[in-house]
Amino acid sequence: MLDLEFLSQVLAVTTVVTPLMLVGVLGIASLFSRRLSERVTSRLTQFVGATGIVASVVILVLMLITGSRHNHVTLGNWVILNDPSLHFHFTFKIIFDRLSVPFAILIFVLCEVIATFARHYLHRETGFHRFFLLFSIFQAGMILTAVAGTVEMLFAGWEMVGLSSALLVAYFQNRAAPVRNGLRVWIVYRFADAAFLLAAIMLHHLSGGGDFDVLTGVTNLQTWPEGVVEITETGTAILVGYLLLIAAAGKSALVPFSGWLPRAMEGPTPSSAIFYGALSVHLGAYLLLRVSPVLVVSPWLWGAVIALGLATAMFAAITARVQTDIKSALSFAALTQIGLIVTEIGLGAAIGGRIGQLIWYFALSHIIGHACLRTLQFIRAPSLLKDYGQLENATGSRLLHRPILFTSSLPGPLQVRLYRFALERGHLDTLLTRFFVTPFLKLFRGCDRIERAWANLLQGGVPDSPHHSEPSHQQSESRT
Amino acid sequence: MVDFSRSEGGDSQSGSTSHGDGDLLSIIQHAVHLLPSQGPISVFVHHNTLHAFQHLPFFTALRRGVEVYGCEPFLSEEAFHHKLADGRIRLEDIEQVLSEELGAHGEDKIAGLTTRFKLRLTMAKDPLYLGSGEELEWQIAETQILKKMRSEVSGATRKGMVESTRHWALRQRIPVETTISEEPSATGIDLAPFLQELSFGASESAMDRWTEHRWEEFCLTALWKVCVAGAKRNRRERTESARLMRPCDILKQVAGEDVDRLVNELLIPFTAAFLDQGLSQWSLPGRDLGFYEAFLLHASQTGFLAERWFHDGNVHVRRLQAENVSALDLIHELLPKLGIAPEETEEFLTQTLLSLRGWAGMIWQTETQASRIARPSPQGTLVGFLAVKLLLECHALTYVAKEAGVWTGSLADIRKLPASPQPLPYELTAMQCASVVFQMAQLLGWSPETLYHLPRRDWRALLAEIESFSNFERRRLLQLAYERRYRNQALDAFTAHARKPHVAATPVRAQVITCIDDREESLRRHIEEVAPDVETWGAPGFFSVAMYYKGVADALETPLCPGNVRPRHWVHEEVANGFESSDQLRRKARKVVGKLSRHLHLESRSMTRGAILATFLGPFASVPLISRILFPLQTARVSEVARKLMEVPSATQLRLERATPEPGNEPGQIGFSPQEMAGIIEKVLRDTGLTSNFASLVLLIGHGSSSQNNPHESAYNCGACAGSRGGPNARAFAQMANDPRIRKLLADQGIVIPESTWFVGGYHNTCNDEIEFFDVDKLSEPVRKSFFSLKEKLDEALAWNALERCRKFESAPLTLTPEEAIRQVKIRSEDLSQARPEFNHATNAICYVGRRERTRSLFLDRRAFLQSYDPEQDTPDASILLRVLQAATPVAAGISLEYYFSCVDPAGYGCGNKLPHNVVSLLGVMEGAQSDLRTGLSSQMVEIHEPIRILFVVETTPELMTSIMDRDTNIRELIQNEWVQLALLDPNSSQLHLYQAGAFVPYRPESSQLPVAGSSYEWFRGWRGDMGFASVLASEPKTFRKTSRSKEVF
Ligand SMILES: [Zn+2]
Repeated sequence: MLDLEFLSQVLAVTTVVTPLMLVGVLGIASLFSRRLSERVTSRLTQFVGATGIVASVVILVLMLITGSRHNHVTLGNWVILNDPSLHFHFTFKIIFDRLSVPFAILIFVLCEVIATFARHYLHRETGFHRFFLLFSIFQAGMILTAVAGTVEMLFAGWEMVGLSSALLVAYFQNRAAPVRNGLRVWIVYRFADAAFLLAAIMLHHLSGGGDFDVLTGVTNLQTWPEGVVEITETGTAILVGYLLLIAAAGKSALVPFSGWLPRAMEGPTPSSAIFYGALSVHLGAYLLLRVSPVLVVSPWLWGAVIALGLATAMFAAITARVQTDIKSALSFAALTQIGLIVTEIGLGAAIGGRIGQLIWYFALSHIIGHACLRTLQFIRAPSLLKDYGQLENATGSRLLHRPILFTSSLPGPLQVRLYRFALERGHLDTLLTRFFVTPFLKLFRGCDRIERAWANLLQGGVPDSPHHSEPSHQQSESRT
Repeated sequence: MVDFSRSEGGDSQSGSTSHGDGDLLSIIQHAVHLLPSQGPISVFVHHNTLHAFQHLPFFTALRRGVEVYGCEPFLSEEAFHHKLADGRIRLEDIEQVLSEELGAHGEDKIAGLTTRFKLRLTMAKDPLYLGSGEELEWQIAETQILKKMRSEVSGATRKGMVESTRHWALRQRIPVETTISEEPSATGIDLAPFLQELSFGASESAMDRWTEHRWEEFCLTALWKVCVAGAKRNRRERTESARLMRPCDILKQVAGEDVDRLVNELLIPFTAAFLDQGLSQWSLPGRDLGFYEAFLLHASQTGFLAERWFHDGNVHVRRLQAENVSALDLIHELLPKLGIAPEETEEFLTQTLLSLRGWAGMIWQTETQASRIARPSPQGTLVGFLAVKLLLECHALTYVAKEAGVWTGSLADIRKLPASPQPLPYELTAMQCASVVFQMAQLLGWSPETLYHLPRRDWRALLAEIESFSNFERRRLLQLAYERRYRNQALDAFTAHARKPHVAATPVRAQVITCIDDREESLRRHIEEVAPDVETWGAPGFFSVAMYYKGVADALETPLCPGNVRPRHWVHEEVANGFESSDQLRRKARKVVGKLSRHLHLESRSMTRGAILATFLGPFASVPLISRILFPLQTARVSEVARKLMEVPSATQLRLERATPEPGNEPGQIGFSPQEMAGIIEKVLRDTGLTSNFASLVLLIGHGSSSQNNPHESAYNCGACAGSRGGPNARAFAQMANDPRIRKLLADQGIVIPESTWFVGGYHNTCNDEIEFFDVDKLSEPVRKSFFSLKEKLDEALAWNALERCRKFESAPLTLTPEEAIRQVKIRSEDLSQARPEFNHATNAICYVGRRERTRSLFLDRRAFLQSYDPEQDTPDASILLRVLQAATPVAAGISLEYYFSCVDPAGYGCGNKLPHNVVSLLGVMEGAQSDLRTGLSSQMVEIHEPIRILFVVETTPELMTSIMDRDTNIRELIQNEWVQLALLDPNSSQLHLYQAGAFVPYRPESSQLPVAGSSYEWFRGWRGDMGFASVLASEPKTFRKTSRSKEVF
C-alpha cells in the first residue's frame, strides 16, 4: 500500500517534471543555436507526451485501486515567514484529484496528437524548432496549471501558457497581421493576469497562503468538489472571486474579451487547434472549477458567473452563424460551448449541494468532450471543401444556407441589425477600445503629464514625453 | 467629421468630373483585366498569372508586373548564385547569353577601365552586396569589407592594387612644386588632407612599418571614400517617379496609420458574406438587392457601437438612400472629394481595386462566370464594391487624419501632404552606386588612384552603365543563362536520342494512352520498362470527350473538359440493370448518413445541441482524432470498408447515346449521337497517330488526385479537365470505341479497328498511385486474361513510379523499396497532417509534341508533357498539328507560367505558405484570421520547382510551324512574346531548330554524350536533386530484359 502511494507520488512528479525538462532541452538547444534535427525534436516531444499519458493514466488507476481521491505531493516551501502577523508561505504542491487527473490526461493526449500532427505538417518550415519550443512551453504550462496546488504555481503555468500562445499567434512573424493580433492577445492576457495576480495577493491575505486546499476547504475527507469554504470575510472572498472571474474571462475569451479569439487564428492550423480550440481557451473555465467552492459563497458571485457564461454563449452562438471563414466559425462555436460550461459552473454553485457537485462534474466532462471534438474539427478545417462536396453528393443536392427559425421570424430591420451586430462580432473590440483602452490611456497620460509638470517645477527642463510630440504614435497605440 | 452632404460637393462634382457613366464603366472594365482571374478554388484551373500582359513580350510583362503588383519578376540574385555554385547555371551560359545580347556593343570601353561585357559579366556572376542605407553603414562599421578584399579577388590583383596605392600614398607625402596644373579630381577630393585623414596622421616611419594587412585596409578605405565621393558628385539625379499615391498611402506614410487595414476590417467580412457559397448558416439579409444596396441597407442602421471612424456612416448612407444615389454616382461624387483629378481617375481606381485584388477578382469571377458558380453575383457587383470601398476610405481617412492631427480641412487636401512617393524598384541610391563601383574596382583591379583621376565624363559613363545594368537586368541575364543551361541539356539529349533508331516491338501487347501530364511521363516510362512490348501514347486527359458529367453518387454535374471549352453534352452514370434495388437501399443509406453528418457538422457549432453533442459524443471524437493522425492508412482502410457498404454498386454504365437530335440536360438528350462519338474517337486517334496496328488491348487512363486537408486539392487534378478527375472521360471514350457501330463509322473514315481489339478506360490517382479500371466485367474471355496479366505489369510499374516520386520527398528515405514506396504514397494521400501529398506539376519544363518512338527510353525526370503526334500522318498544311497545339499549348503554358510566377514570388503571385490558410466562403483561402483572398499556388507546392519557361519541342518543320503561328493568334502570342520556348525536331533527322528572336535557327549540340542506364531506377536511385537526361535500356524491346532486376527487388 505504501509502495503504491510512493509510486503515485513519483508519477505525479514525473508528469510535471518531464514537460519542464523538454522545455529545458529544446530551449537550451535553441539558445546555443544548436539545431536539433526535425526528427529529434519531434520524437522528444512525442516521447514526453507519451510518458505523460502513461503516468497520468497510471495515477488514475492507482487512485481507483487505493480509493484515494486526493493525492497531493508537497515539494517543499520556497518561502515561509514565520512571523505570525505576516504568516506567509509559498509552497510547491501538486494536487491529483478528480478534477486535475482527467484534465491532465486530456492535456497529454491532445498534446501528443498535435505533436504528431505538427511533425509532418511543419516539415521543412523555417520555424519548426520555434514551434516545438513554444509548444513545449505551452504543454508544461498547461500541466502546471492543471495540477497546481497553490495559486502561485497555477499562475506560473498560466503565464507560460499565455506567453507561448501569444507568440504562436505571431508565429508567421514576417507578416504584419499575425504580429498585431499576437500583441492583442498578449494585451488581453496581461490584463487578465493582472486580475489574477491581485487575486493571488488577496488570497494570501485571506488565508495566509496560496494553497487551494485551504482556500476551498478541502481536507483528506472532503476533496474536490466537496470542499466547503469557511471564510469569514465574505466581502474579500467575493472580491477574490470577481478578480478570478476577470482572469478566467480574459483567458477563455468570455464577453467582453471575446474579440481576440478569432484573431488568434493566425498561427499554423495545429496551434490554432490546440490552443484556441481545445486547451488554453478552457483554462478559464478550469480555474473556475478549481475555485468552484468559493463561488458558492455569494449569489453575487455565482450570479455573475452565470450571467457572463450565458451572455458569452448567446453572443457567440449568434456570431458563429454569420462567420464565412471556417476558422472563425469554429472559434465562435467553441466560444458558445465555453460560455455554456461557465454557465454550468455558475449553476452548480447556485444550486450547491450534491446536485451542484454533479453539475460541476458535468461541466468537467463537457470540457473534455468539447476539447476532443473541437480539436478534431480544427485540424480537419482545411478539408472543408472536400467535406462539403461529399455531403452534397450524399444528400444529393446543393447545401444552401439553412434559415434559422428565430431570425427569419424577426422583422426586417431588426434582422439586419442583428446580422450586422454578428458580422462585426458584437463590436466588442471597438467597445473595449472606446470605453476601456482610451480612458485608460487618457488617465495614465494625464498622470504622466502631472508627473512631468511636477518634475519640471522641481528641477526644470525635463523633455516632453514622446507621446506628446508624436500624435501618430498615440493614435496607433490606442488601436492596438 | 467632414460633411458628406451633397450640397458641399455638389458643384465640384459637376464642375471637375469630366467622365460620364460610360467612361467610368469602361475605366473600371479596363482595370478589371489586372485582377487575378482565378475562379473558385474547388475548380482550380492553371493559367498564366500575368495573363493581362500576355500581349507584351515576356520580360516587358515582368516589368509591368513589378510596377503594377509590386511582385518579384525572377528568383533572387542569391538563389541564382546558389544555382551557379551548384552547376545548374554555368559561367559559360552567362557568357554566351551576354555576348549574344550585347553583340558588338560588348566590346565598348566603359570609362576606359573595362569593356561592357566584362563589367556586366562581373556584376552578374559575383554576388553584389547592396544593402539599404542603414545596412551599408552597418556593414562598413561592423564587417570586414573595408579591411579585406572580397574573397573572389585574385592574389595578383590584390597585390597590384595594394602596391600601387601604397606607392601613391607615399609619393604624396613629399610635396613638390608642380609645373603642370593638375585638373581637380572629378571626385572633388582634396588629396593631401584626404590621405592625411586616411593614415590618421601616421608618421612616415610608422607607415614604413605597416603590415600588408594595414596597407590593404588603407587601400580599401581610400577606395571606398573615392567611390562615395565620385558617385555622389557624378551620379545623374533621376526624375522622381510619377506613380500616383492614393490618399491611404499618403496617410500611412505621414500618420503611420494603415487606413486600408481599418477599411478592410469592415469590408472583407461584408464581401465574404456577400459572396458566400454556403459556409455560413445565416445568409446576408438583403443580398438580393446587390452589393452596394445591401451595404447601404446594413450601414444605414444606427451605429452606436460601430467602429469609431464609421460612427457617422449611417447618416451619410441614409442620405445616399434617400437621394437614390447609385454606385456609379457615388464614385463620381467621391472622386473629386478625394482630390482625384479626372486624368488620374483610371490610375486611382485601378490601384484601389488592386489594393484588395483577391476579393475584387473573385467578385468579378462570380459576376462574369455565373455558369460555373453555385451562387453567382448579380451584374454591377464590382462597381458596388468599388463604391463601398471608396465610401469607407473617405470616412476612415477623415477620421484618421483628424485623430493623428496631421490634417484638418477638406479631404482632397490629404493629397497635398508631404509624402515621398515610393521609389521605383531597382533604382540605386548614390551610396549603392558607390558600393557597386567599390566592389567592381576590387574584382576588376581599379586602384583608388585610377578612380581619383578618372575624368568627370568617365565617372558619368561608369555610373550610367552600372545603373543601366540594374538588379532586374542582372536577374534577367541570369534567368536566360539558367534557361539556356537546361534547354541545351535537353536539346542535346533529344538530338543524341533521336539519332538512335528505335525498334518497335512486334507484336505489340497493348497500347496505353494517358494524359499528356508531366506526372504521367514517369508512369509511361516504367510501363515501357516492365513491359517493353507495350506502347504508350499521350493525349489531353479529357480525351476529347467534353461533357457535363454526373456520376451515380454525385449531386451535381461537373464539366470535364479544358477551362476554355464549354461542353455541349451531358453524360450520366447509371446503375446497371438488376442492381437498381440494391442501389436504392444504398442511396438511402448514403442520404441518411449524409444528412446525419451534416447535422452533426452544423449542430456542433450551435448552442444547446452543440452542448449535448460535445458532452456526450465529444469524447468519442478522440477516437478518429487519434487514429487518423497516428494511423492514417489503417483508418482510411476501415472507413473505406464502411463506405463500401453504402457505395455505389460497381455495376454501373454510362448513358452515352442520345435519341434526340439536339444534346441537352433533359432525359432524352443525355449523351452523344453516334456521329459525334465517331468524331471524338477519330480526333484522338488521328491526333496521336494511333490509326493502325492496334493491339488487342488499348487502355485509356485519365487521372486525378486525392489528398486530405488540402483546399487546393483540385489543382492536383487533370489540367485538361479544368481541375476535375478525368476517369469518366477515359471510360466514356473506351465505351464509345468498343461500340461496333462506331467502329463501322470509323472504318468509313479509314480507321479500321480490328474486332479483336478492346478499349478499357481507367483512372490513375497520381497521389496514391492506384489505377482503377472501368467495365472490366464486360471483357470477353481471352482479352480478359491478357488484361489481368497486363494489370499485374501495370501495378509493378506503379510501384516503380511511386518510388521515383518518393525520391523528391525529403521525409521519405532514399532507400525505399517499390513496395514501401507504394505504402509511403498511400499514407501521404490519407494523412491529415501532410502538407505535400504530391508535388503536382513542380519541375515541369518541357512539352514534347511528336512520336513517342523518338523519346521512348529517354529519362525525362517527370519534367515533360508528352503529346503524341505523328507528322507523317498529318495533312500537308499540318491541320492536325494545329489542333493538337491549340489544345496542348494553353494547358502546358498555363501550368508552366503559373508555376513560374508562384515560384519566383510565392507571397506575391502565389498564395504564400499553406499552413495558415483559412477557407472562406467556400471560394478560396485567406491567410490567417482575415486577409485578402489569396490566389495562385502555395509555397509548399512550388518549393522544388525550377522556374524556367517551358520548352516546347515539336516534331515538325520550321515552315509548317510558321504557318501554324500565322493561323492561331494565341499560339503566336505565346511564342513570339517568348512566354514559352520553342524548338522543332526534324521529322526525318535528328536536327533541331531553336526559335530565337523571331526565327528558327539550327541548333548545334554542345555535347553528343547521353548517359546510359539499365533502368530508370538504376539512374535515379540515391539522389534527391535534379537528374540529368539518360537513355534507359530497359524499355527497348529485346535489347534488355529487366526480369532479373524486378525479381531481385520485389
Ligand atoms: Zn491531365
